[in-house]
Amino acid sequence: MKKISLSLLALLLCAFVAAAQKVPVQEVVLDNGMRLLLVPRKGDPNIAAGWVARVGSVNEHPGITGLSHLFEHMMFKGTKTIGTSNIDENLKLMKEMDDVRAQIRQEQQSLILKARLGEITDAKDPKFRSERYQGLLTRFDELTKREKELMIKDEFDRVYTTAGGSGMNAGTSNDFTVYFINVPANKLELWFWMESDRLRNPVFREFYSERDVVHEERRLRTDSTPTGKFDEQFDSMFWQSSPYGWPVVGWPSDLEGITREEALDYFAVNYAPNNLTACLVGDIDPARAKELAQKYFGRLSRGPRVPEPVRTAEMPQLAEKRMVAYAETVPQVRIRYHTVAEGHPDDFVLDILASLLSGRTGRLYKSLVLQQGIANSAGAGEDGRKYEGLFELNAVAKPGKTPEEVEQALYKEIERMQKDLVDANELQKVKNQYAAGAFRSIQSNFGLMVQLLLRDNTRGWSTINSDPAHHQAVTPEDIRRVANTYFKPENRTIAIYNTKKAAGPEDPALAGLTDQEKEQVGRMKGMLAQAKPEQLKAFLAQLEQQAGSAPAEKQKFFQVVKKMLEDRIKQLEGGKQ
Amino acid sequence: MNKRKTHKLLSAFLGLALLALSPVSLLAQTQDPTIPAHPRDLKYTQLTYTPPKREQYRHVLSNGVVAYLVEDHDLPLVNVSTLVRTGSYLDPVGKEGLAALTGSQMRAGGTTSKTAEEFDEAADFLAASISSSIGPLQGNAGVNLLAKDVDNGLGLYFDMLKNPRFQEERIKLAKSQLLQNMERRNDSTTGIEDREWNRLIYGANHFSTRQSTKPSIDSITREDMLAFHQKYYQPGGFIFAVSGDFNTKDMIAKLEAAMKGWPVSKAPLPEVPKMPYTSVAGVYTVNKADVNQGRVSIGHVGIMRDNPDSYAIGIMNDILGGGGFTSRITSRVRSDEGLAYSAGSSFSFGTYNPGVFRASFQSKNPTTSQALDIMVEEINKMRAGKVSAEELETAKNQAIEVFPRNFATASQVAGIFAQDEFTKRPADYWSTYRDRIRAVTIDDVQRVAAKYLQPDKLVVLVVGNIDEITKGNPDKPQYSLLKIAKDGQIHRIPLPDPLTLVYPTAP
Repeated sequence: MKKISLSLLALLLCAFVAAAQKVPVQEVVLDNGMRLLLVPRKGDPNIAAGWVARVGSVNEHPGITGLSHLFEHMMFKGTKTIGTSNIDENLKLMKEMDDVRAQIRQEQQSLILKARLGEITDAKDPKFRSERYQGLLTRFDELTKREKELMIKDEFDRVYTTAGGSGMNAGTSNDFTVYFINVPANKLELWFWMESDRLRNPVFREFYSERDVVHEERRLRTDSTPTGKFDEQFDSMFWQSSPYGWPVVGWPSDLEGITREEALDYFAVNYAPNNLTACLVGDIDPARAKELAQKYFGRLSRGPRVPEPVRTAEMPQLAEKRMVAYAETVPQVRIRYHTVAEGHPDDFVLDILASLLSGRTGRLYKSLVLQQGIANSAGAGEDGRKYEGLFELNAVAKPGKTPEEVEQALYKEIERMQKDLVDANELQKVKNQYAAGAFRSIQSNFGLMVQLLLRDNTRGWSTINSDPAHHQAVTPEDIRRVANTYFKPENRTIAIYNTKKAAGPEDPALAGLTDQEKEQVGRMKGMLAQAKPEQLKAFLAQLEQQAGSAPAEKQKFFQVVKKMLEDRIKQLEGGKQ
Repeated sequence: MNKRKTHKLLSAFLGLALLALSPVSLLAQTQDPTIPAHPRDLKYTQLTYTPPKREQYRHVLSNGVVAYLVEDHDLPLVNVSTLVRTGSYLDPVGKEGLAALTGSQMRAGGTTSKTAEEFDEAADFLAASISSSIGPLQGNAGVNLLAKDVDNGLGLYFDMLKNPRFQEERIKLAKSQLLQNMERRNDSTTGIEDREWNRLIYGANHFSTRQSTKPSIDSITREDMLAFHQKYYQPGGFIFAVSGDFNTKDMIAKLEAAMKGWPVSKAPLPEVPKMPYTSVAGVYTVNKADVNQGRVSIGHVGIMRDNPDSYAIGIMNDILGGGGFTSRITSRVRSDEGLAYSAGSSFSFGTYNPGVFRASFQSKNPTTSQALDIMVEEINKMRAGKVSAEELETAKNQAIEVFPRNFATASQVAGIFAQDEFTKRPADYWSTYRDRIRAVTIDDVQRVAAKYLQPDKLVVLVVGNIDEITKGNPDKPQYSLLKIAKDGQIHRIPLPDPLTLVYPTAP
């Protein structure tokens, strides 16, 4: 009875979906190639405004990894008009700074060479700097100070903030760089002024200190989180030849070396209007918006050449790859398969397949978490990107179970997908979620604006209206076929995360020691475990002698080691009796 | 139809493009005289905005329960959310985690008529997103679904609110997940920072600091959850916020029907405990040797939200560190020196207990002390001198111009008014808000900075590789952690046992 009513509902939903989802977008293409998407909507007197540059880390090459993202930061640093009290002086100064920087680079390179040959221990240690190097750094600091005197600090931000702009930010990914803000409805012209100005007259002020900010961002997101470094390594291991293999934030060595000249070259090609799409959603008058677009964005000139698509394709994977990490995190497994790019017919099938596996009523949760009780959470997802795609399964092992056991259980679920056709009701449930999700994803003006931009970045904005039908058309046979096509052992890469013992409560005996001393004590403990009582006693005598002549701040350390030795001797001799 | 429109437009622009090819218009293109040289010369039309009125959406249902209903027919979706008078402040001592578990298990554990599995399947097939949780000071339950499914969805939703089953296997699973995550409490410096910050500011025994432990989770039973639910989930403790594609009259009838026969109690809840603790100023550190960036928070207790100075304080904090790039702390620590990715401050106003002033940043080990020094300097500067007219205007304009964003969507309108009713905010709050901001002067800002920023009371918390951070930067020896410490001491907080939160004591 229940089943019948559910299927009926399903039928109704299908009909409903086909009729509903249509986002009315007005599209304008300027003669310089820039595209503008307009969606007037009622609501509060505000406009969600943004634009996307069709460039991301995938367009970089070794040596300039992280440049797309660094660039995103630079776009807030003002222009020839915004952010300076004297642009001519400013440009002269910047030229000088670049020259000094080039000389500093030479010094750095010679230290890197020495470090490579083992002549010095650390190329970044200030004590190895030559007098000339130190002098250049001082000179650069002076120039920075002078630049600051000419600057109107953060004027770009202040102009928008004063005018009631909110949520201004930007984002960089592998495939795109997007810039956005909300502006009051009467400030539409301000948005056109500001955005066309920074595209037309950018000046990368504070370039070198902003590079440091980005480095801090890397420390924040990657280095100082429990799994950040390992996730990055897993990415690089998964992609063999594709430029998806380096992190969006870039490798530290590249971040330290990127020059302003490299940034300007990159800008000229990738931020030309023919590589941009803008979008406005909210309280707009489309006729006025078109007029302003022509007036402001129309001033931008086409780039020197059309940006080329990425050439380097991923090599087919021939053998399983595996990474075993010990991290301060829950025991977990991630399994990745190479799949297809966004928009490929199989990409839609893989989306649906991932949804069948995920969520509270998905197969992984029901099987691994509820029935078998070997995992505490589990999920899957398809990540179709512009040039390549991947499918990932992941799960957290329940305490007492290993990630490898969970890995095997995940394969079992994949095998089911490869052998049996999914149940019609189960499939309909997932399709219903896609149908409702299509509405939810366009509820907010801001969300719709970003979605249209990202879609236009790869396959065109109109996919927002045509994709739902592709998801609804997926059949049980499609799913079985796709599962057999991509989920092969030689096509997978696995990350196993074992739990490294957490820092945990500190041994109270070690309180008051420096970290270095604690480490030393730890190492000694290991050595002591293998020593004989006679050796220990000899060591103890030696230690007492040394302690007598050691400085006051070292006494605590000696006491701790002494206590450790005495305890160990007592333990060994006690054991004999 | 739309397509045709676009085509017409395109050809209109093609015409323009052709014109643009002549040399005269090319010149005009680069130096359009109607484009001002600086955006300050742009002219704008006046924008008048009146915020929506609470009474317009407020309805008292036949059982006395208040509901805010805001229709919006743009998309075929309906959103219902319920605020519930309860909270983890009601957790009995020794059973920390009871409220949170009750909230999540209401959703995860089925209902008396449906097993957890049946309930999940039914909700997922409707593509209804149903949720339940209990935070420190209130419970929240919500359902978002397609308008055509509203009857079925509301049926499930009220079944959950009224008759949760608390299925044993789901409780066992939830506990296993909680304990697994609990073990990882000392892994991330973010988690450590938040925990120790709360302990330093509110003291170890305040309800907002008390956390669940293995013993407290182990001791919580299904019966405890049933009793907790029974006590607090009844219509007298509910306020509804409903928005989306419905007719108000029909929706009222649906809500009333759903609660028919459910007794309403108006018995008041125990009061939210006051904050008896006074934090002790000083430099506190937690060592986490394997990270290359220090996380720093500094601050002290703030004010209640009904303090008339709150408007001036809000503007003051915007200028100090709350207003993004234009604020002083961000500008100096991030833009000038490149010492941090994020650096700023917040000044929160409490409803039941005073809020907190907190400034924070993250910086690499050698420069942590330098950034900290700048931050303290900016706090002192804020108290000592007047802000500029430009700074004041930026902050005030921002607050006034952004104001309509509070009511951007139907669900925001319903949500904000329901929340106001929940916390008994004065009815004229929103209608007078912008005038109160406009009234703030430069002198006000300095007065509140001197009064409410209290350098003697600063609690400084540093989490990271403390040895490296203490060493500082060989190029800039003038900055040191020790210099910031007024009592000349760097207090070390050890990491507690993650499962029991027992802290080791020095021998």
